[in-house]
Amino acid sequence: MIDIWLILRILIFPGFAFILLLTLFCDWVERKFEARIQNRVGPMVAGPAGILQPLADFIKLLTKEDIEPRDSKRIVFKFAPLVAFTIMVFAICFLPIDGASVLSTGGFNGDLIIILAFSTIASFLLFLSGWASCNPYGTISAARVLTQFMGYDIPLFLIALTPAFIVGSLSIFTIASGVTLASGQTIPIILLAPWAFVLFIITMQAELEKDPFDVPDAESELVGGLETEFTGAKLAFLHLTRDVQIVFGSALVVELFLGGPYGPVFFGVPAFWYSLWFVLKLLAVVIITEYITTLFARLRIDQVLSANWRILLPAAILSLMLTVALVTWVYPLV
Amino acid sequence: MTNTVTWSRVKSPWVLHFNSGACNGCDIEIVALLTPKYDVERFGIKLEPSPRHADVLLVTGCVTQQCAERLKRVYDQMPQPKFVVAIGACACSGGVFAGNYNVVGGVDKVIPVTAYIPGCPPRPEAMIDGVVKLLNALNPPKPKKLSKQEKQEEERKAKEANHAVALPEVTIKPAIEESKPNVKQ
Amino acid sequence: MSNNKIDIISVVQSKLKDKVEIQLGQLGTAAINTTNGLHRDVLKAMIDADEKTGLTAITGLDLGANLGILYHIHTSNDFITIRAEVPKNNPKIQTIVDLIAGAAFHELEVSDLFGVIFEGNELKGHLVLSENWPEGIYPLRKDVIANEVKLVPAPEERKPPEMGKLVKIIIGPQHPALLEPEKFVVTVDGETVTKVEPRIGYVHRGIEKASETRTYVQDVYLVERICGICNACHAYGLVAATEKILKTQVPERAKYLRVIDLEFNRLHSHLLTLGHAGLEIGYETLFQYFWRDREPIMDLIELISGNRVYASLMTIGGVRRDLKETDFPKIKTTLEDLRKKIPFYRQVYENEPSIKARMKNVGTLSREDAIKLCVVGPVARGSGYDIDVRKDDPYEAYGEIPFNKIVYTEGDTWARMNVRMDEVEESINIVLYALDHMPSGPFRVDVPRNVLAGEAVSRNEAPRGELFYYVKSNGTAFPERVKVRTPTFANIPSFLKTAIGENIADVPPNFVSLDPCFSCTDR
Repeated sequence: MIDIWLILRILIFPGFAFILLLTLFCDWVERKFEARIQNRVGPMVAGPAGILQPLADFIKLLTKEDIEPRDSKRIVFKFAPLVAFTIMVFAICFLPIDGASVLSTGGFNGDLIIILAFSTIASFLLFLSGWASCNPYGTISAARVLTQFMGYDIPLFLIALTPAFIVGSLSIFTIASGVTLASGQTIPIILLAPWAFVLFIITMQAELEKDPFDVPDAESELVGGLETEFTGAKLAFLHLTRDVQIVFGSALVVELFLGGPYGPVFFGVPAFWYSLWFVLKLLAVVIITEYITTLFARLRIDQVLSANWRILLPAAILSLMLTVALVTWVYPLV
Repeated sequence: MTNTVTWSRVKSPWVLHFNSGACNGCDIEIVALLTPKYDVERFGIKLEPSPRHADVLLVTGCVTQQCAERLKRVYDQMPQPKFVVAIGACACSGGVFAGNYNVVGGVDKVIPVTAYIPGCPPRPEAMIDGVVKLLNALNPPKPKKLSKQEKQEEERKAKEANHAVALPEVTIKPAIEESKPNVKQ
Repeated sequence: MSNNKIDIISVVQSKLKDKVEIQLGQLGTAAINTTNGLHRDVLKAMIDADEKTGLTAITGLDLGANLGILYHIHTSNDFITIRAEVPKNNPKIQTIVDLIAGAAFHELEVSDLFGVIFEGNELKGHLVLSENWPEGIYPLRKDVIANEVKLVPAPEERKPPEMGKLVKIIIGPQHPALLEPEKFVVTVDGETVTKVEPRIGYVHRGIEKASETRTYVQDVYLVERICGICNACHAYGLVAATEKILKTQVPERAKYLRVIDLEFNRLHSHLLTLGHAGLEIGYETLFQYFWRDREPIMDLIELISGNRVYASLMTIGGVRRDLKETDFPKIKTTLEDLRKKIPFYRQVYENEPSIKARMKNVGTLSREDAIKLCVVGPVARGSGYDIDVRKDDPYEAYGEIPFNKIVYTEGDTWARMNVRMDEVEESINIVLYALDHMPSGPFRVDVPRNVLAGEAVSRNEAPRGELFYYVKSNGTAFPERVKVRTPTFANIPSFLKTAIGENIADVPPNFVSLDPCFSCTDR
């Protein structure tokens, strides 16, 4: 028997349509914020205050001519962007957005690992698309993407385990619900492990390839980076994949550290309030990452890698050890 | 459906800048368009690095012999629909350098041009005016219905304008080239 | 610096006695007439006597049956021109590349445009002419009508980049990092650069040849458009050289007004480069801030002349327009506002970790290399080589206005950017002093239309370095020869050297720090 309710949830809310609109909205927020920091105004003409600008970009790209270079690897070139986009959307579907996720009401133990694995696969597909375009700029950029995200995945996983340790479970729902104190109050993880929050934001900045870790997309040396040869619909999906990655990364921060969608419910249906808190917290994290982007220049690839292996990885290990120690000896007293 | 497509193309024109042998005057005014005083990102204009991503090719410079072939190649790499804007007196006709050896003289001797913006260099306001006129030509806004008083006001202004100094006009050639069947490069 | 001024002329006179003819006061401090081979001896004598001897330019001349070659040499205190001639049917002369390393490109240009063969110079191919220019026809010779030359089809150059260990990355001609078209083929081994091969000539518009068919006044407008960024300096170069031939006395007020025009040029150019450097290292916010602060300067240029970019104030005999006293307060307040913002930018360059990570120890040029390669401008002053034409050879009112020469010793990209930042402050001081001490009087004098026969050189300090002009007149209203040597032309060899061994990601900041202007280089 077909569950109409489930299909509506998948397609519209909080599924595909909601995620798409949220992505376009976050793109607009980023552009306006960056413009304001730079003393400018940003998009103003497409829709009121330019809010339809990302939608206009997307539709325009869909209707452009699709050029395939003769030397490119056909199948990968054609489908890698679309598959990457699909996987990222699928990963978001595991996160609790309005109290329940798109696919299930309670999640399962271990879905944190699965969605982190999905994000790695999506990044790998981005590397493949750069490699498949067989353009020297694309190849070098793809190599940088690979080096960067594989290096930063390790501290990412380690720091993502910190909330899991505190809560004692690998299920996102449980982590998002926060910790229940002896007095009955639930508090988000950020209050228990603020150092992990800071490290996670930095690592996420590198995973999402934003300044100062913007290396694969370095316009001044590599022209268009791994997107150089893509046009039309494929370029639209590449851009969308990048934006969905940003939403996914920010959503992960919200779920792991900021207490997910849970917050005070004032009246009416709790699902409405949970979605509202989720979107507000997501926007706060998006603004924080965009703020860091505008503040810094772009580092070189060797500086990015040395920041990873020499600073972030030891810091991640230390953070984990500190959290385990606190959980075992200090927090049970609270 | 075509309305939405045209709307999206007009609201999101991505720009590629190519210097085909210019003195840099027009180029620094083009880069100045992105800065806080003029800010063309309001119109959705983004400066793209790769020809494959751009819709509008902004060409400055009097097209030297060395650049002519590269200009053609960059133009061919752009996907349809695409437009070319020739910025500056040199791009329109060769400018001060017309007739020199090594100078082809004017962008329209190499690739088809949609809009010409004269000036040496044209002010950023003139460039924005040219871009807005180009976008309006693609998606003309519906004319407002004027009341009798407003019509009289318009005629009075038109009479006064005839006495003012004539400013260089931005000329636009008609029509968008619709895409031909996808030719594999 | 030694206190005794080295008297180069007496050194040359004592070493070569009667073999050469020395004309004092011509083309700089002196012009020395030599022949093929002797020019090397004179140069060697000068280099042995003074370690700061360097080459400014090599001018080619068409003298009818012979081709003239002028070597313009600068020493610690003097500016000497060495003349040599070769017959047109056998235009061979010995190279000076082994004596002065920075001479390679200068010689290649003369052989490209005049057909002189420099024996011992290994560079081949066209420097500024296009690939479809026929061999054996030299456009700057008088007997060639250049715009009627039939072009040949360009040779095929479709070589795929080699995959494997060494990859050739081509930067340009269309590239987001470059405002202008030039091609650099960068060979990388992994991420390290092993070789850089430039191909310039994409912006060659044949200005030197075109200037021979226009009058001097028309040439001021033509030559101004060699570069939109340092346009006042180009106009000044031509005008100053012509005035030296005419022996015109420029009125005092005009001199101060010219200084104001040149310093505005320097201000807007330095702010442009500082912002552009931010764009290269991915620091868009800094780029937007610098260009936001550059806009008031453009408004000032428009205030004094009517046009944002091309002020066109210079003319032979003075300046074209006067500056009203009622405009002085606006200029002063704008400059004071700009001065208040400089500490913020200085503090960004001092403390911002990502800028220091990307700019420190990148593209380091030692002082010895700077002298050997004859670099000029902020590139030289950032490496401890303290040359500045405004101080070494004062022109216009610079001799009367107090200001500091800015020198940093680190020699890397960071140092060069700081030189420019400090020069912004110095320029503000110069303009404010000039406004306060502006003499009254006429702002131009009349000059005859036909310029009597003669030749002269002029040097001035453009934002990018020393700009050199040589003008030869023949008694008519049209110049016989106008030769321009732009500062970027002198600085490119230093880039080819400093890029080797660095990361490919360091190439854009290194490149921008020498402030390249290829429309200047190609003319």
